[in-house]
Amino acid sequence: MRISRRGLLKGTVAAGAAGALAGAAHGREAVEPEPDAVGMLFDSTRCVGCRACQSACKTANGLHPDTVSANGGVYDAPLDLNASTKTIIKTFGSGEGQAFVKQQCMHCVDPPCVSACMLGAMHKEGEGKRPIRGEKRGTGVVVYDPYTCTGCRYCQIACPFNVPKFEWRAAFPLIVKCELCRHRADPSRPGPLALANPACAEVCPRRAIVYGWRRELLAEAKRRIAAEPRRYNGHVYGEHEGGGTQVLCLAGAGISFQDLGLRALPDRSAARFSESVSHAPYLHGLTPIALYAAIAFVVRRNERGHEASRREEETR
Amino acid sequence: MSAHETPVAVGGKLLAPPMKTLLALFAVAAAVMAFRFFAGLGPVSNMSDGFAWGIWEPINVVVFTGIGTGALGVGLLTYLANRGEYHGLVRPAVLAGAIAYTLGGSSIMVALGRYWNALLLPVVPLWNLSSALLEVAVCVLAYLFVLWIEVLPSILDRAAESASPRWSRIGRRWAPRLARAMPYLIGLAMVLPVMHQSSLGGLMLIAEPKVHPLWHTALLPALFLVSCLSMGYGAVVALVTILNLAWNAKLDPRLLATLARVNSGFLFFFLALRLGDLAWAGKLPLLGFDVTTLLFVVELCLFLAPAAMFAVPAVQRNRGRMFGAALLAVAAGAVYRVDTYLSVFRPGPGWSYFPSLGEIAVTVGMGAAGIALFIVICRLFPIVVVGKRPAVARGRAPGAPGRPPELERMRTSA
Repeated sequence: MRISRRGLLKGTVAAGAAGALAGAAHGREAVEPEPDAVGMLFDSTRCVGCRACQSACKTANGLHPDTVSANGGVYDAPLDLNASTKTIIKTFGSGEGQAFVKQQCMHCVDPPCVSACMLGAMHKEGEGKRPIRGEKRGTGVVVYDPYTCTGCRYCQIACPFNVPKFEWRAAFPLIVKCELCRHRADPSRPGPLALANPACAEVCPRRAIVYGWRRELLAEAKRRIAAEPRRYNGHVYGEHEGGGTQVLCLAGAGISFQDLGLRALPDRSAARFSESVSHAPYLHGLTPIALYAAIAFVVRRNERGHEASRREEETR
Repeated sequence: MSAHETPVAVGGKLLAPPMKTLLALFAVAAAVMAFRFFAGLGPVSNMSDGFAWGIWEPINVVVFTGIGTGALGVGLLTYLANRGEYHGLVRPAVLAGAIAYTLGGSSIMVALGRYWNALLLPVVPLWNLSSALLEVAVCVLAYLFVLWIEVLPSILDRAAESASPRWSRIGRRWAPRLARAMPYLIGLAMVLPVMHQSSLGGLMLIAEPKVHPLWHTALLPALFLVSCLSMGYGAVVALVTILNLAWNAKLDPRLLATLARVNSGFLFFFLALRLGDLAWAGKLPLLGFDVTTLLFVVELCLFLAPAAMFAVPAVQRNRGRMFGAALLAVAAGAVYRVDTYLSVFRPGPGWSYFPSLGEIAVTVGMGAAGIALFIVICRLFPIVVVGKRPAVARGRAPGAPGRPPELERMRTSA
């Protein structure tokens, strides 16, 4: 009997493992982009690296300068995304292969940061765990709610693009990331501008950054590739990467997105993988309840057995 | 349960010299933590946006609680497998677990940037059920309660013997009630750690692009569950050995031998899962002559050594070797966990991390606080079952003349 119970234990562990595997096999369904999702298209071949977007972003979002001292001067020259820099232009390569890239929140279709966030502080606009005034459902913008954020930084671990940034030097810190200038939306304007209005797209002198409906931007990106196949590398980054992103990127011929610092990602979101594997063994919450009931039953029966034998000893 | 199996308060001076050292270590940690609440996390740590968790999450939470699952291990044997002879180990293991989880929980509060919002964790409508960290947080908090309730019988026993009639009444009144509720509590004490220990592995599933593929697998939850048991049983063997040396706690070599066999099984099971998974996923070609492969091999050896040692009867009879194997078993799980969370975590080019003195001070100081708390509670409350001879004279160095009788018996049997 004893041995069979130990076997039962091992069986439980094995079942958990099998469940995890099975979960990886089917799991939860992929998230499709909302029909009215907004987004941006960054065309690296049009960017000349003027950084007007970077400055406009700081002004529009009230971010402090990120100063660097060099040669006796002080410059607002951030080296990477950080707690006072929500977007940055970086350059990669040299000569013919030289290109610029704009880093910022990619506003994933199925964002790992949202899946990871304990209390829904990081959420898709209008889909948080608490009602927040002014949020519109369906834009797909990944927004941040400081009132439910515990500052655990799991979003930073989860984000494949290292986008969410933390205020390391603050006693009461916040997570900082691009929210697509949702606060600059103007309800009186038509179309996507009623939902958000990114300052970076507004100021770009070369129209390298375009804001709009994701579906239209994706069509536009494909149209550009078809019109000038020798200008582009032929792919739209963000159409499928990591389950799709709402910020899309085009790169020049002969340049890979990895050259530009954009990670090669599988087509399914890490959020989908993680949730599928994690939830599978739980069987919608049935497993813990069944396990608890089984353990309580066995333990109680054992205790009663002990009591009975004790009483027997006493009567003898 | 015969009379000599009853746990007793060990007694003795509370502020012995090792205690002062432990408290001094904790004082340093407390100073760093206090400073952190004014200056933010940046000035006291080397954490960055790339390595956002540093060592506090991997060591203070993931490793400490892994060690704390000795409570689960002993509970499984005692209550589920119905091996009453392990009853004497339950109280020390549960106390160690309660303390380990308390350390993990309090370390997290220090690490949280917006710690005040942790008060929202019990608000169910806010729960994001997709979040592995939410599962861990809620489950660990719940288990923390359960563990301390499991410690309560010791406190109530002590209260019942108290000279004060009021305390004595409370003790005599509540101890039996608690005993009746225990089976239902024990159920929770088993389900909760199984859930969150596997979720600790599940936490890293979402960091798929960042965790090295040799470590990242759908089996992370299962591997973390098995490794917590191997760490837990190792911790119990080590704990019992130390308690025996320090306070002449009862040590039954046959019980330890069974623990060793069980632990050997879990360690081998871990190895089979780990290697089988890599082979099945076709990841073995990723091995080469590099640092990650070295880490992987070190990890395997750390699991293999105690697995083999625990299975050998000669080791099972030798207390020293058992102690060594137990420490190896704990180290194996600890290294596996730290590797997964930190060593093979690669946020991207340009990021590097080594813990700051402040971070190390907090981790060491928290560990010291845990040991200090364990000693104090064992001295004041009936936790440890002491061997037949009266406890080793208080304050004498462990291992000095007056060897505990258990050891003598072991020697002759060996």
